[in-house]
Amino acid sequence: MMARLSIPTTARLPSSLRVDPASPAVSKVLNRLSRASLISVALDWLDEKNASLAAPYLRRHHDEEEEDDEDVEDDGDFYPPARSLAALQEQYIQLQARKGSKREVLDRITEGDWRHGLSLYQLAMADLQYLYDHPTSQQWSAYRILPLKPPSRNADEAEDEPPTVDSQSLVIPRFHPSTFLKTLQAQVLPDVKAHYNFDRHKDLPLLLLRIFITDSPYNTSLGLQNHTTNTTASSSSSSLATFDTSRTFYIAFPDASPHIYISKPQTLGPAQGPGESKSLRNLIVEGIPKALSRPRQRFTLKSTSLSTRNLAEMLDRRGAARINSAGGGWSIYADEKQKESPLDTVLPSPPLSEGGDEAAPPPLAAAQVAKRAVSPATLRDERAAKRARLVARARFGDSARVDDGKGVERVDIVLEDPFPAVDSEDEDEDMLRDEEEGEEEGDERRGRARKGGRRGNADVALEQEEEGAREEEENARSGTWRPNIRLTFHGSHVFAGIRQLVEHGIVDGERMPGWMTGEEGVTIGAVRHGRIRGHKGSGI
Amino acid sequence: MSSSSTAPNLDDEIENLQARVSVLKKQLRIQTSTLIASPSTRQLFTPPPTTSDAANPVRQKLLTHAVSQQAHNQQCLYRTCAGLTTFRVQDPDPNAVDGGAVLGLRIEVFSRTKFLRPYYVLLNRPYGPAPSSSSSSSGSNRRRNHLRLHRHTVPPCIPLAGLAARHLPPPGSDERKQGLPRFARALRREIVRYHHRLGVVADLRKAAGLEGEGERLPGQTLVDITPADAEAKQLSIEWADGRTGRLVMGDDGEILKLVALGDEGRDHEAARELLGGAVRVDEVVKSLLAAAKG
Repeated sequence: MMARLSIPTTARLPSSLRVDPASPAVSKVLNRLSRASLISVALDWLDEKNASLAAPYLRRHHDEEEEDDEDVEDDGDFYPPARSLAALQEQYIQLQARKGSKREVLDRITEGDWRHGLSLYQLAMADLQYLYDHPTSQQWSAYRILPLKPPSRNADEAEDEPPTVDSQSLVIPRFHPSTFLKTLQAQVLPDVKAHYNFDRHKDLPLLLLRIFITDSPYNTSLGLQNHTTNTTASSSSSSLATFDTSRTFYIAFPDASPHIYISKPQTLGPAQGPGESKSLRNLIVEGIPKALSRPRQRFTLKSTSLSTRNLAEMLDRRGAARINSAGGGWSIYADEKQKESPLDTVLPSPPLSEGGDEAAPPPLAAAQVAKRAVSPATLRDERAAKRARLVARARFGDSARVDDGKGVERVDIVLEDPFPAVDSEDEDEDMLRDEEEGEEEGDERRGRARKGGRRGNADVALEQEEEGAREEEENARSGTWRPNIRLTFHGSHVFAGIRQLVEHGIVDGERMPGWMTGEEGVTIGAVRHGRIRGHKGSGI
Repeated sequence: MSSSSTAPNLDDEIENLQARVSVLKKQLRIQTSTLIASPSTRQLFTPPPTTSDAANPVRQKLLTHAVSQQAHNQQCLYRTCAGLTTFRVQDPDPNAVDGGAVLGLRIEVFSRTKFLRPYYVLLNRPYGPAPSSSSSSSGSNRRRNHLRLHRHTVPPCIPLAGLAARHLPPPGSDERKQGLPRFARALRREIVRYHHRLGVVADLRKAAGLEGEGERLPGQTLVDITPADAEAKQLSIEWADGRTGRLVMGDDGEILKLVALGDEGRDHEAARELLGGAVRVDEVVKSLLAAAKG
C-alpha cells in the first residue's frame, strides 16, 4: 500500500492516503470527539459506501499473508482483527449500547481496527463530526463573489492595471464543486499539498469543503510519514506545524448565494510560527477566486465585514434568503411567513394589538381587569413598557430575538464622528467629502488587501478603518475634535441583548443609531455621521 | 389511570377550542371588512349626520375605520392590477439620510395561482446638495434627487446590484440620467422571469412524474430533474439507466443547450429523445405529458 518512491507532484493528496495512527495529528483529531461521536464516526467508516476509503484492519484469509503479519496476529493481540465488516459493525454497535470510557474506543480505533493507519478521508470525517458537535467551533468570515471586468484587448494595458470589479455585470456566479476543486488545485503551488473533502451540511443549506494542508511536495504516505517521524525525532517546537489542526480550514458554499464563508484556523496553544500556517492558508484562499473563475469570466472575493461563529446567522445575512439586505427593522419586509396578498382585503391590524400576528400580549388583558386597583404610577410604567416594546419592534422587527439562534458574538465599531457641538453646515460639507472619499478608498482597500493578504482579515479591515480615520483627522479643520472611540460588543447574541435593553427602556429606542439594530449586517464597521461607512445602502 | 387519560383529552379539547376561536375571529374580521366596504354600508355613512349623531364616538370610530378600509381596498386593487407599486417609508434610524425619507417599490409576483409575498426595494436619496463649485440650483436639485438602493428583499439570484448600477448611477461619475421606471421594469422582469423558470422546472418535474415522493413508476425514464444553479437556468437531469444530463435554459425558458452523458461519453440519442425538436422548455413539458398519457 505504501509507495516505495515519493516523487514530487502537483496532484492533491488522495483521500485514501493513510496516516500513522500514532501521529499527534490523528490523536488530536480523535481526542476532540466525545465517545458517542467517536462510535458514530467509526460506524460511518464501516459503512459500505465508505469501505473503500476507510477500510479497517481485517483478518486475512490466505495463509501466506498471515505469515507476513505474524508478529501482530499472535494470540496475545489485545484487539484481534475482525473477520468481516459486518462483524466489526456489530462490535461497535455493542460498544454504543454499553457504557464506558472514551479511551476504550479510542484505543480500539488506533491500536486495533485501524492500526495500519487512518486515511485522510477518515480524519476529515472525524473533523466534520467535531464541527457538527460544536457548531460554534469555527469562526467564519463571509466574502462576496464579485464579477470582474473582462481584461481589455490591449495586452500591455491589461498587465499594467489589475482588473476592476464590474459593477454593472448581471452575471450570477455559478459553482460546480468538482470543477472548482480541479482549478483550485491547479492554482495552489506545487510545494503545498492539500487534502480536500466535500460534505453536505447536515441541516443547513451549505456545502462544506474541508481543506487540510501539508507543506510536503509529495502526495504519498511516505511524504507524510517522513514528516511525522521527524516531528517525534526533532524538537517538537518547529515540527508540530507540519501536521497541525491549524492547517485545517473550511470553506462553506451556501446554496444559491453569491457568497462564500471561509473559516479562520484556530491558533491552539502558543503561537508556533503563526505566520507560516497563515500564509499557507492564504495561498489557498488566494486561489479561490481564480478557481471560481472561468475563461472570459473572472471573479474576485470581497470581504463583507461579517464574521461570526454562528453559521445560521451567516446564512441569514449572506445566504439565499430575503433578509440579506433587509436586517433589523426592515426584516418585516422580508418575513416569508407573513402573508400579504393583495386579494386579502382584511385591514392589517397594528402590532401588539389583538388580532395582530403576535400572540395576544398578556399585559393588555391583565391591565383591563386590574384597572381599578393600580395606581397611576404603575399605569404610566405599563404604558411606558408597552411603548418601549413597540419601539423595539419598530427598530428590530422580528429579528434579534434571544431564542432565534442567530446571534453574532462580537461587534466592533469605530466611531469617527466629530465630537457633538459642531454646527450643521460644517457637517454637511464633511458628508460630501466623505462620499467622494468612499469611492477612492474602496479601490485603495482592494489594492491593499491584495498586498497585505497575509494578515487576518479582521485586522486588516480594522487597520484600514483606522488609517482612514487618521487621514480624516489630518484633513479635519482645527475646530473639530474627533475622539478615537472604539466600541466592542461581546456576548452570545449581541443584537438580541441590545433589543432587550431597548425593551426594558434602558436604551432609548427612538434615538438609538441604526447600526445598533444590526440592520447593516456587519460585525466590523466604522461609523460616520451616525451610519456605518460604505453602507449607505445595502452595502452594494 | 383515569386522571392520566383525561388530562390529554382536556388538553386536546382546549387546543381544539382555541383553534376554533382563532378561526371564528378570522372570519369575523373578514366579514367586518367586507361589510364595511360594501356600498350599502357606505351609503349609511354618507347622509349628513344630525347634530346628536356627529358626536357619537362609535360612529366616529366606524367612520375612520371605513375610511382606512377604503384606502386599503384601493391599495389592494392597485397592487393586484399593476404588479408594481410604490409607497413611502420613514426610516427609523435617527441618523438616516434625507430625513429618513425612503421610497419603496413593491413588486408582486403571481405564481402557481397565488400571489407570493411581494419583493420590496427601498430607495433613499443620500446625495446632498451639489458641492459649492457648481452651485446652480437646478444642478443641485438634480443631484439631490438621485436615488440609491437602501434596502431590499430581492433574492441574491437576481442581479440587483448590476441593474442598479446600470439604471441608477450615482451622480457625478458620468452624466447618465437615473431612470427609476427603467430600473423598476428591468428588475420586475428579472424577478418574474426567475419565478417563471422555477415554475417551468416544477412543471417539468410534474410531467416526468417526479412530484410524488417515493413510488417510482416502472416505465419512468427520468428519475431526477433539479435546478443546478441559483438562477434556475441550468437543470441537471438524471435518467433511470444512470445517464445524466444538463439542460441550459435562456432567460425566457428557451433551450440553449442540452447535453446527455452516458457510459460512453455524450449520448446524442437520449438528448434528441428528450427534446423531440422542442425549442422551449414548456414544449418538453407538453411532450412529456403527451407521452405519459399515450
